[in-house]
Amino acid sequence: MLWARLRPEFLARYGLVWALGILVLVLSLLSPYFLTPSNLLNILRQVSINAILALGMTVVILKGGIDLSVGSLLALAGAMAAGLAIAGLSPVLAMGLGIGVAIALGVLQGLLVAYAGLPPFIVTLAGLTAFRGLTLVYTDGRPITGLPEPFLFLGNGTVLGMPVPVMAMLLFLLLTHFLLRYTAWGRYLYAIGGNEEAARLSGVPVAPIKVFAYAYSGLAAGLAALVLTGRLNSAQPTAGTGFELDAIAAAVVGGTSLAGGRGTAWGTFLGALIIGVLNNGMNLLNVSAFYQLIAKGVVIVLALLVDRLVRRR
Amino acid sequence: MALLEMRGIRKRFGGVEALKGVDFAVEAGEIHALVGENGAGKSTLMKILSGALAPDGGEVWLSGRRLRLGSVQEARRQGIVMVYQELNLAPNLSVAENLSLGRLPLFVDRKRLYTRARILLEELDLGFTPEVPVGVLEVGQQTLVAVAQALSQEARILVFDEATAALSAREAERLFQLVKELRNRGLGIVWISHRLEEVFHLADRVTVLRDGQRVATLPLSGLKPEALVELMVGKREAGRLDLPSPKAHPPLHLEVRGGGLEPLAFDLRPGEILGLAGVVGSGRSAVVEILFGLEGEGRVNGEPLRSPLEAIRRGVFLVPADRKAQGLILGLSARANISLPVLRELSFGGVVSASREAALARQWFQALGIRPQDPERPAGTFSGGNQQKLVLAKALATRPRLLLLAEPTRGVDVAARQEIYALLATWAREGVAQIVSSGDTEELLLLCHRIFVFRKGRVVAEFHPPYCSEEVVAHVVGTAQA
Repeated sequence: MLWARLRPEFLARYGLVWALGILVLVLSLLSPYFLTPSNLLNILRQVSINAILALGMTVVILKGGIDLSVGSLLALAGAMAAGLAIAGLSPVLAMGLGIGVAIALGVLQGLLVAYAGLPPFIVTLAGLTAFRGLTLVYTDGRPITGLPEPFLFLGNGTVLGMPVPVMAMLLFLLLTHFLLRYTAWGRYLYAIGGNEEAARLSGVPVAPIKVFAYAYSGLAAGLAALVLTGRLNSAQPTAGTGFELDAIAAAVVGGTSLAGGRGTAWGTFLGALIIGVLNNGMNLLNVSAFYQLIAKGVVIVLALLVDRLVRRR
Repeated sequence: MALLEMRGIRKRFGGVEALKGVDFAVEAGEIHALVGENGAGKSTLMKILSGALAPDGGEVWLSGRRLRLGSVQEARRQGIVMVYQELNLAPNLSVAENLSLGRLPLFVDRKRLYTRARILLEELDLGFTPEVPVGVLEVGQQTLVAVAQALSQEARILVFDEATAALSAREAERLFQLVKELRNRGLGIVWISHRLEEVFHLADRVTVLRDGQRVATLPLSGLKPEALVELMVGKREAGRLDLPSPKAHPPLHLEVRGGGLEPLAFDLRPGEILGLAGVVGSGRSAVVEILFGLEGEGRVNGEPLRSPLEAIRRGVFLVPADRKAQGLILGLSARANISLPVLRELSFGGVVSASREAALARQWFQALGIRPQDPERPAGTFSGGNQQKLVLAKALATRPRLLLLAEPTRGVDVAARQEIYALLATWAREGVAQIVSSGDTEELLLLCHRIFVFRKGRVVAEFHPPYCSEEVVAHVVGTAQA
């Protein structure tokens, strides 16, 4: 029976693939340029930053939180790395420090959530504002340009014919997938997001895992920062504005429940791809940027509606 | 802490076990009745207290000090005094001399002796002069002299064994007044009597002995005499589980502080099931929460229990009252729920071994007969009874020494309930100590070796099934409301 196969798990697992497939089919019929290798690679490159941020975001949302600070954190990490490199620090060390700062600030937010008991929304909203301010102070509001070679490689280089940003995204996807699917800490994230009280009564170290989630999101922001800085060949003080919302959108379209406890790395990746393909297709079809925003909003709501219908059974 | 505590007293006469590990405690300022049929062990217990008999096992503590047993002198010195039917008086000595009997100095200062005696007799309003020889007094008056004697010798625990047997009604009434006066002065009084009306008239609490075991300790207020008789001689409750006797050693020593409770410390033997009864808010649920590190200050064998994680590490696990809100993560698979507390042990370098995890889930699905037999289904899709078994599986997978259960069969159908009881009995047999907090008295009587009844944060009564009828226990739980 066909209907019998349309069980929620089946749909949830493959529904996104179907949706992406249909989208690709329609767009390839509408535009001759869509289904070309260079365009497809271009899409992957375009989605890489959002996908990386969305994977970090997924980890936080899974445990029942949210991280609004990633866009600002990205700008700060990029500026720090670029600034330190310009100042004469070894580029690799500068990059490491940029990521380190992002992780450290993620930990700070995690501590405020896990140990001070503040709501994640408020803590990371404060982070969004404060980290942007820090970036502007650090850069004095001006872009940092003239970056050394390793930055450019991260943004525009290729390895075995694959763009480095795409490579970075895929590696981070595998890392996140491994974390969520195979490790005890991954399981704890699901447990805390699913029922924090029950998790605590089962001996799950709730607070440390929460801190870890924000640190992981910080890592994602730092990684995305290096890719973006390399791509632009400069660190912009306003970089990443609004990226947190795109990341949340990708996670939600990918089946991550904002209530926590449900979602996968692959789902989020597919969510980011769907949004990316949609953007790319609309660009190819010369849809006005204004309408593109509307389309994106509709897709997010549709994804949630479909998800709700499937779960309700 | 109680003024007097006798713990695990054992005594054997030839082939007969007269006392099989009896606990008995008396508070300061309390009249505590000790009742039971002939041969229940009352007198033996009191002879051990007085030092006349040495026990085969057990301890006696007075005001936090452990007593040397088997010595009458030691017991006397510590202020434990018996007032027996046959009085311990010298008939041809005067009242004053009797009051100081056994403590007379080498050179008697008669003036001081008589002055002190007069003051005491007046204080107690006894109405006879210290110069009278005791032999000319009536039996009732002699009893009063014996009490005064105990008092002048700084008694802290006074034991009356059938003290009114030879007294007239008026003399008995006079003795009651005196005993109540002594209670108000903070003495601990043990009152042994076959006359139940006397017990109800006089005592604050009662301990019932039967065949060398304690059946119950409970407050007398509001209790019906028939209920007390039932505890002494009534039939064994039907339908009780076939529980194994707890293993003798080594017990878990549990301490419970905070959470609005009077500090509580008790021993629990491996395989022993302790029930906590009481109305909502009586403090019984706080006990399990404290022992699981959720609030207050709990300790097991002296080790602190400051968080669930620490409690689990020390072999304690809680099956919470609300399985949906606290027990299970409904969206996760049954397998992931069962393995959650032991995930660390199933992991190598942080990576969970899928095969070991699946094997663990299969093992517990089989052991507890969980249906449907599909550990990959989300926990939320199982029926109530099977969800409760999932929580039990999760608890038992941690291989606890002490299992805490809050309302273990709430919202569970009759068949599943019986299965759960049988499982708990099985685990008791395996040596898992258990504490069951439940609002269902019938359940506790069915399941427990011992029952504590809570009222306003303290234990007011203790029962030892099977010889307790549900009515009696329910009554005590019920009066806890008032």
